[in-house]
Amino acid sequence: MTIKTTVIGAYPKIGDGPDAQELRRALHRRDRGEITDAELRKVFDDVTRATIGEIEAAGVDTVNDGQVRWDDLLAPFARSWSGVEQGPLERFYDNNTYYRQPVITGPITTDGQSLVRDYAFAKGVATARLKAGVPGPLTFATLTARDDQYRSIEERTLAAADAIAKEIAGLAAAGARLIDIEDPAVVAAPKYIELAREAYARLADAGHALALVTYFFPPDAVLESLASFPVGVIGIDVRSRDTTAFDRLDAFRTQHILLGVVDARNTRLETADEVARYAERALKLVPQERLVLATTTSLEYLPRDVARAKLTALVEGARLVAGEKVPA
Amino acid sequence: MNDNLLPTTTVGSFGKPDYLTKARAQAARGKLSPTELEELERKATAEWIRRQEDIGLDVLVDGEMYRGDMVAYFAERLEGFKIGGLVRSYGNRYYHKPVIAGKVSRPNPMTVSWFEYAQSLTSKPVKGMLTGPYTLLDWSYNEAYPTRRDAVLALAEIVRDEARDLERAGAKYIQIDEPAIHARPEEIEIAIEAMGIVTAGLSAKTISHICYGDFAAIYPQVLELPVDQLDLAMANYGYRWLDLFDRNPFTKELAIGIVDVHAHETETVEVAAEGIRKGLRYVPAGKLWPHPDCGLKTRTVEECVEKCVAVVEATKIVRKELAKVPA
Repeated sequence: MTIKTTVIGAYPKIGDGPDAQELRRALHRRDRGEITDAELRKVFDDVTRATIGEIEAAGVDTVNDGQVRWDDLLAPFARSWSGVEQGPLERFYDNNTYYRQPVITGPITTDGQSLVRDYAFAKGVATARLKAGVPGPLTFATLTARDDQYRSIEERTLAAADAIAKEIAGLAAAGARLIDIEDPAVVAAPKYIELAREAYARLADAGHALALVTYFFPPDAVLESLASFPVGVIGIDVRSRDTTAFDRLDAFRTQHILLGVVDARNTRLETADEVARYAERALKLVPQERLVLATTTSLEYLPRDVARAKLTALVEGARLVAGEKVPA
Repeated sequence: MNDNLLPTTTVGSFGKPDYLTKARAQAARGKLSPTELEELERKATAEWIRRQEDIGLDVLVDGEMYRGDMVAYFAERLEGFKIGGLVRSYGNRYYHKPVIAGKVSRPNPMTVSWFEYAQSLTSKPVKGMLTGPYTLLDWSYNEAYPTRRDAVLALAEIVRDEARDLERAGAKYIQIDEPAIHARPEEIEIAIEAMGIVTAGLSAKTISHICYGDFAAIYPQVLELPVDQLDLAMANYGYRWLDLFDRNPFTKELAIGIVDVHAHETETVEVAAEGIRKGLRYVPAGKLWPHPDCGLKTRTVEECVEKCVAVVEATKIVRKELAKVPA
């Protein structure tokens, strides 16, 4: 059996050729009042359909909708949640990519339906296994610019967790069986690891197959802690920075591991051999049925043609991985 | 009133006039020759020099009418770089993220003729404007150098050569922007080492603009950056970085951002003036330079003018207040 592959987060929304830039043009036209919101939504749908098709065509086993409608990881929620507004721009961690910092003006509430329409659309399009994605509570709380409501990072994180739990429940009711919780803050701010654990206990109550996906920073400081988080899957980047994680993967005794082996922040293309070697290293400590190969983070940090080539390397690398190394 | 107090300036880029935006798009499609495009870039530069004089700014910039992106402009002129595909920066904005594909070198000066042209149009000083080595690396994909430090130090030699050429051409102010400096706080020493290579031996006043990131994570270490003046976005941050100066006094000249550049609306003159007063608690008036938070290239020409006017008018108010206080 071939080792499974998946993507993480957002996919490039446009490509370099003029025929691959319809979304960029449509957004400009919307800004100038030349098309309606309904017409823009149709373009979003078309680009989402093409994106899912592109990820599937590369041979990836578990796909997502590429987050084509998302300006940034927090934007869909900062827009739809009551008590939250979009604030000033800020750099998203160590990327030359920016996001709107949430500003909390009152109690955070949501009907849990923020992503349901988009998920239902993607489900109607995808032929491969489809997963959903939400931001993690610690990331939401630590990237907030101003908070007029909660008195501490603890209160804010738990309030975000309650809102995210509702979104997870909404997605699950819409048929999502696997949900990525993208939470780079867990590895960027390891001092909050116990707070994160408390927050994830609230998410786990939502009762579905949750993946805590970390990226940008090595998981070294929190690896053993993550192994006891109440989630079924942990995502870690073992490719883009030095990490000791490879020697410690046996800390994960029951969880599946999304192993980030294809660097989504550098154009240098991994060969299929390199990908396979990463996987084989991991297989010394983790049985194959609990290992999934992934990109290190969102492919949106790359031009689209490179993103596509990275997916091909990922899938071809997975096919090269020889056999099972650890008994189940 | 002493004009040497609170000298006003801007961070570097201004909005391009519509005719230039259109011309750049045409040139990109091969429908306008490079010479025709340059003619329009010179026209727009001259317009911006005149506008800055009319507004009453003290130290001018050429406005970067001939640049798209602050890293790609240099990458396009350096050997070793390839221009990569489009990558989104935020919202619906994309840029060509460069790729360091081989050993980098500088075949020719990259900014000197534009500096000379802009300076020839005014008797006020014009700043030479460069992107710093750490940012050149951080905002590019590195496929060629074994480590980030190796790449940054190689780029530092290139930026040093360009800075020396600008100084020879008469630049009294040379700005070497490092907006990425806090991308990885653990690498601040690399950025400092590289800037040391760039500014060693320069007699021009050196400035570095830093914006959009966790400034607290690199303070006070950033005071070791070998430049005379740090140029910081403050309005966008509600001036919270000033609190850092309570514990560790700020030791350089400070160019203080007093209007947010990512909002269409401009702060009132009174709000902007309050920003200057906040800065004066930490930096004396001779070393405090009011200006907008960041480059203004994402704004329309009219919005740029409005924001610069707010900076100059706010400065006049505070200068008057200072004149009333007996020395």
